[in-house]
Amino acid sequence: MVTSRREANAQRIASCDRRAEALGLRPGTGIADARARHPELVVEPEDTHADRHLLLTLADWCDRYTPLVGLDEPDGLFLDISGCAHLFGGEEAMRTDALARLARQGFEARAGLASTPGAAWALVRYGSEAMQSRGIAQAEERQALAAMPLGALRLEAQARQGLESVGLKTVGVVADAPRAPLARRFGTALIARLDQAFGASDEAISPRFAPAPLSAERHLFDPLQEPDRIEELCGHLAVTLRPDLERQGLGVLELELALFRVDGVVSRVRIALSRPTREPAVIRRICREKLSALGNALEPGYGFDLVRLSVTASAPFETPQTSLVAESRKGDEAAIALLADRITARLGESTVRQPTLRDTHWPERAVGFVPFGRLDGTPSDNLAIPARPMRRHPVRPIYLFAPPERIEVTAAEVPEGPPRQFRWRRVTTRVVRSEGPERLAPEWWLDPQPWDPPLIDPKTEETQESDLGWTGQKAIMRDYFRIEDEDGRRYWLFRQGLYGTGPNGVPRWFLHGLFA
Amino acid sequence: MAPATAHDAVFALRREIARIEGRIAETLDGSGVLHRSCEEPDAIPHGTVLRREGRADALLRLQTGVERFDAALHGGVPFAGLTEIHGAASRDAGAVLGFTLALLGASSRVNGAAKPLLWIGTKDGVAEAGLPYLAGLYRLYGIGPEHLILSRGDRAADALWIAGEAAGLPSLGAVLIELRGSPSALDLNATRRLQVRAREAGRPVLLLRQNAVSEPTAAPTRLHVAPAPSALRETLAGPLDGTVGYPAWRVSLSKSANGAAPSDFTLEWNFDANSFRERTERETALPGALVSVSRGGADQARPDGAELAQTRSEPAALGHEPARGERPAHRVLRQAG
Repeated sequence: MVTSRREANAQRIASCDRRAEALGLRPGTGIADARARHPELVVEPEDTHADRHLLLTLADWCDRYTPLVGLDEPDGLFLDISGCAHLFGGEEAMRTDALARLARQGFEARAGLASTPGAAWALVRYGSEAMQSRGIAQAEERQALAAMPLGALRLEAQARQGLESVGLKTVGVVADAPRAPLARRFGTALIARLDQAFGASDEAISPRFAPAPLSAERHLFDPLQEPDRIEELCGHLAVTLRPDLERQGLGVLELELALFRVDGVVSRVRIALSRPTREPAVIRRICREKLSALGNALEPGYGFDLVRLSVTASAPFETPQTSLVAESRKGDEAAIALLADRITARLGESTVRQPTLRDTHWPERAVGFVPFGRLDGTPSDNLAIPARPMRRHPVRPIYLFAPPERIEVTAAEVPEGPPRQFRWRRVTTRVVRSEGPERLAPEWWLDPQPWDPPLIDPKTEETQESDLGWTGQKAIMRDYFRIEDEDGRRYWLFRQGLYGTGPNGVPRWFLHGLFA
Repeated sequence: MAPATAHDAVFALRREIARIEGRIAETLDGSGVLHRSCEEPDAIPHGTVLRREGRADALLRLQTGVERFDAALHGGVPFAGLTEIHGAASRDAGAVLGFTLALLGASSRVNGAAKPLLWIGTKDGVAEAGLPYLAGLYRLYGIGPEHLILSRGDRAADALWIAGEAAGLPSLGAVLIELRGSPSALDLNATRRLQVRAREAGRPVLLLRQNAVSEPTAAPTRLHVAPAPSALRETLAGPLDGTVGYPAWRVSLSKSANGAAPSDFTLEWNFDANSFRERTERETALPGALVSVSRGGADQARPDGAELAQTRSEPAALGHEPARGERPAHRVLRQAG
């Protein structure tokens, strides 16, 4: 079987399996040629997207060996195992373990160990089986790579052909050649690659995820399946994390629970907390909510054989002061924070919020929302409006619609009076009493500007939920009225713009809130 | 069994039932006639924490200060426990929430410490009636950012889960759950759980419902709230015609643990003084002539330490908007639109 790729207007082999290789097929051969030689050949179009996805999944899986996993597309992975190998019984044992596990998952993998990424890369692709299992020790790179072809240096095809055409065909020959003329003729990239391979210059592996400053993990001989036992294990891991957190004076703000499934799939679960904590019992409870919220989405399959709990965000944690007066209040706050975290873990982000008052007169912006426990933080809409001083407030409704709802005003005092009668949600309401107008002008000095309701009827369209509410055309001034109907219902409604300015010269009316 | 012993046994059982249900037991007077002790208004002194069998607050009440209303509920809405407050339609949401917060605010003398309120809504409910608006709540009830937590579930079952978890948390001042219609998740079991947890935690859990049928729930008390015309604004020259002043609601009691007869009240709430008063039938019949009696400082003193409702707004500051009578004469009623 081979996969095909369109290359320079011809179908060529992109990759082949072992049996195809045995038949003498190589990547780059034209599909037509190959078919002619072997009519029974199975050809599948290449799916680079799926290949990449598979590589990413593998990278995730390799996270079990080291947090520093870098991609080497299209078919390689770099693992920086400095300081990790002893956890697996040494470098050789680690390599054997990885290869065995990959083979069990049906991958044919090669692994080479060297002290530079460049040498390891060359070793995997051009080294013999024996060399690979031996590895390349520090300062032996030059010697080990000397016999390898130029491909081992990760060169551009053009530079490689250029070198070969002048008779420099192995790494050793190029390395022994005088550097200045080489650099002049073939560019500094060649020199850089040589230095990287031989360890003369450092090459950093860019890891896919920033390694967590703190993490605790447990390898399991008996794979875990039940959420209860995973939760229990989270509790144990949290206990393990605690001394380190205490030493650094930190509390956990965000955790990542990585579950490594036996067959190589890695599930990562993000757990956010509203206040720093290091209490294992708290962490365990929140893990429970998260796991039960995930439910079947977790798919334990044959179970997880590695569970890791890493701290992805932390904050200074003040050791609770023992003050008799403040004690109960602190306890209350902690209890509410735990509830908020559990709700968030189970029902998703932004299900628990606290409103804040802000210093603006524009109704939609006068109240911002922050996640629970972040009252001093910036509201989610990111507008730099300071908090409102807690002083006198204008009269405002107790419910606010977002967006304001369009109403049909059938009779109003023109030009600046309140409506006499209006229709809202198919019910005609007669206005008995009214107060107003209270004229609000848009905040032209702010960027972005407040927006006015869209032209569509909000009832027929899906209402967008966001703190600013909706977007539409640019804001126009509004005249707000407090209205009471015959039954005593109290509404807050406004006229958008003045008579004679809107479309057809008739301004639109909106209902924006309900009073007590 | 001798009649006297049987009588004693029955009485003991009734006492036990009353204890379980958290109400005051009937007392047996010398002549063997049963009395409900709550029928004497002095039976529960205001603000007294009664402890029986280790459970505090079981008999505490949310009081409006309106004698007839509190008496009908045998001292007020139960403080520790679940209370259902119904509104007819979504457009009455303002009245329902308004009354509920006023009830909590007027009772803050009992509530004491300023613990935060947790409001729980559903996604469709928010689309229907919007979110509680802090600017308005702050103005009317003195609820600041640190006193309000808004939470939202996608479905009624999620909202009820949040409520169930929150109901047992004594750190919250009160829990308000707002549900529209009659979701199937809101059954006897769910409400029973809320009721039991709220009673254990010693704190009100208020179930605000709109468009709902009164199916059986475990809530011992059920009130129906409808809006009523507000009072006129007071000025130095007297009430100002056409203005919208202190809000009022028609509250009817449709269920109570003590088996009070269904009854109606029209309660007006003075948010400056944080107190209720009942409108007389004459006032209710002539809504145009409503005059608040609580003007001129005759209202009840605001309790110290009340935290839920304490912004005393200056009525004069509201007078800058002209009432209808004072508007320029050139504005006449015309067809618009």
